[in-house]
Amino acid sequence: MKQVININFHGQVVPIETSAFDMLKLYTESLNRFFAQEEGKEEIINDIETRIAELFQERLKKGATCITDDDVQAIINSMGRPEDFETEEPSSSSEQPKAAPTATESTSTEGPKRLYRNENDKVLGGVCSGLANYFGIDPVIVRVLFAVIAIAFGAGVLAYIILWIAVPSTAQTRIGGAQKKLFRDPDDKIIGGVSSGLGNYFGVNPWIARILFLLPFMTFIFQGSNWGIDDAGDFIRVSFSPGSLLLYIILWIVIPEAATTSEKLAMKGEKVDLNSIKNSVMEEMKGVQSRAEKFGKEAQKIAEEKGQQLGADVNQFAKRSSTSLGDIIVIIFKVFGYFIVGVVAFALVVALFSLAIVAVGIFPAKAFLLTDGWQNAYAWGTLVFFIGVPVVGIITWIIRRLTKQKRYSRFLALTFSSLWIIGWVAVMLLVSSISRDFKSFNTLSEQEIPLTNPTINKLEITANEPGKHVYRTKFLRFEPFEGLDEDTLLVKNVEVKILKSTNDSFRVTRIVRTNGRTRRFADTLAAEINYNIRQFDSVLILDRGIAITRENKFRNQRVIITIYVPVGKQIRVDRSIGWAHNVRFGGLFNESEWDVQFEDEEDGWRADQDYIMRGDGLYHLDGRKANRWEDDDDARVSVKPGRIEVEENGKKVIIDQNGVEVKPIDGGTYRYQPGTVAPSAPTAPAAPTNEAAERERIKDSIRKEKEKLDQQLKQLEQKTEPMPEAVGTLLMHVRTPFPIF
Amino acid sequence: MNIENTASQMRKGVLEFCILSVIKQGEAYPSDIIEKMKAANLNIFEGTLYPLLTRLKNAELLTYRWIESNSGPPRKYFSLTEKGAAFYTELEATWNELANAVKALTENEHPNT
Repeated sequence: MKQVININFHGQVVPIETSAFDMLKLYTESLNRFFAQEEGKEEIINDIETRIAELFQERLKKGATCITDDDVQAIINSMGRPEDFETEEPSSSSEQPKAAPTATESTSTEGPKRLYRNENDKVLGGVCSGLANYFGIDPVIVRVLFAVIAIAFGAGVLAYIILWIAVPSTAQTRIGGAQKKLFRDPDDKIIGGVSSGLGNYFGVNPWIARILFLLPFMTFIFQGSNWGIDDAGDFIRVSFSPGSLLLYIILWIVIPEAATTSEKLAMKGEKVDLNSIKNSVMEEMKGVQSRAEKFGKEAQKIAEEKGQQLGADVNQFAKRSSTSLGDIIVIIFKVFGYFIVGVVAFALVVALFSLAIVAVGIFPAKAFLLTDGWQNAYAWGTLVFFIGVPVVGIITWIIRRLTKQKRYSRFLALTFSSLWIIGWVAVMLLVSSISRDFKSFNTLSEQEIPLTNPTINKLEITANEPGKHVYRTKFLRFEPFEGLDEDTLLVKNVEVKILKSTNDSFRVTRIVRTNGRTRRFADTLAAEINYNIRQFDSVLILDRGIAITRENKFRNQRVIITIYVPVGKQIRVDRSIGWAHNVRFGGLFNESEWDVQFEDEEDGWRADQDYIMRGDGLYHLDGRKANRWEDDDDARVSVKPGRIEVEENGKKVIIDQNGVEVKPIDGGTYRYQPGTVAPSAPTAPAAPTNEAAERERIKDSIRKEKEKLDQQLKQLEQKTEPMPEAVGTLLMHVRTPFPIF
Repeated sequence: MNIENTASQMRKGVLEFCILSVIKQGEAYPSDIIEKMKAANLNIFEGTLYPLLTRLKNAELLTYRWIESNSGPPRKYFSLTEKGAAFYTELEATWNELANAVKALTENEHPNT
């Protein structure tokens, strides 16, 4: 049962079924769209409608009571659908870009254009395809742009969410939107046809795209130094160089090749409107069907795997749901588990990306690290296969997701994973090879550096500028790599230690340390380290870094400068020496412990400040002791079992089982001991038998302490006797004379 | 390459020529033209024909007049203008040239295959 309405169709009254009328309306609309650009559009439409009216009359004259769906279908078939018209479109023959007709078409038919989210073609919220529709471009482009912005700046995500919320959704879809599509052009290709495809899409000469891709290989042109601009070159080099090839490869993988004629036409923007209208029904149905089939197959596979697992869970849960709350908890835990796995995966991706960035940044230093030959090959293998492949793979995966491509995914997965395995092998070979090169150390020995003027009152330590212009990376800098040029790598592995001198003149010594394949090799390498220390008047000039040549290679060469400061003299370390942790004071080091020795004092140093050496270490000029709490003006209280320490500006009070110990700022120790003053004072009641022995032990240690202090006093008075060791060591003994219980 | 598409491209090229030649034989109504072409085994949709006719008319190669019809609205009958006739002879020459060339080429190929 169908409703029949009467319409006035070109002066003829035509009874027609409502469904047939809808069909007819859609058809005339499609014609309207199709001929929108055509000169004499009204006349053509009029002619066609007149003809349709005539055919209707014929039907009715033959005795039909009304026009049915079949009649309209037959007429449409005889007239042809717009996509069947063998007409020469002006838009196809001339080089008119595609966007224009689409825009005018929609404005001419339905007033001002509005931005909608496209519900019919969406990945998340349809924002991208909506925008694409609005601007008349391929949604893939918009999606890729969004993805890139999201990855690079994070702003893309925000923008997407805002648009998702702000832009209304298309309640009913507008027919059409078959814009020019992005394909690779197999007919005009040099490598993969990406450039010519892009050229087709944007209506420009493919050579423009090709040259853009080639630019990074012509960095010479843009290298700032060639033009006397210092900073511009770097930017272009860093931003384009690895990106271009990567982008090309990704686009190659992601953009489908225009295999069929219709794809080729869609690529060139021909036949655009014809495909769009009625075709959307037919083609779309076909496409959806095949896509659905493909998707169904894959989804089935995944569903089978995941489903078994999940199904088992759900089944279990359903069976026992009446009894156990535990199952719910288990499921919640599983959800959390997946969440954590997701987070870990995300972290891995981020780590991989940063690794890639670091690798690209560090790669110029390669020649200074690797011996030629196999190691070099391993390094390339690592960069390309271990780091490059997953990065490309992940980006590809994301873009394929975004573009809903399902083809060849298995092939891709196989290729990527096998390439990655090669990468793993390369990494392992590289790591083992390099670690062999770093296996041994050289023999450490302290070399005396002769000073021109060792008896001055104040020594200032500064670092010189590198002797020649050293290229510094603007974007990526890694400690300890200070700088790099063609034949020199400047490594800032310089440490400065400040100790007390045993006599009244400054002394400077140098210790060189390096790794190497064998001890002998490390020794030769150490001998080749060229590190200069010079004194001009009161200034001691150190080299800023250790210059390493391509021949010597980087084997973690280090220079440890020890400056012995006489008591009563001043020292100042310039900021140019480097970070605070490069300068340390107090303590000694030996071969085995040299790098853990100074942990306690590490944070105390400040550059550009005068210090004075006293009997027990370095002091600020205002009398504060230079120590690790330096930055802290407040008193520091630490409470441990059986012991309380209060410390302020070097003054220290320690309260423990043995009494109260006061350490004023100028050294020396005052002690109040309840045990000795009042023998009946409470000691631990649980161990009364130990009391006598304990007291004896305490007495003994105090006696020893007294001897040491006497000796120290004597030395200070005489001021000539050599000290056995640096004061720091002595202090450490003073500080902990009593065992802590 | 899609054979269907190539064929349609080829037909597209000669369509105007065919239509003009049908009209040259005498005043014609669009469905007459369709019929005649169908008889010659050249199928086209009416939807293809109308825009072509309009374009040819706008190019002043064709003219038309209204003739009342007893089945429905009045009909447009098309005929060649002077300019159209000249255009036709030119096209005809081109066509003959082309046909000969194709013929020569294809015949040349036959003995080999």
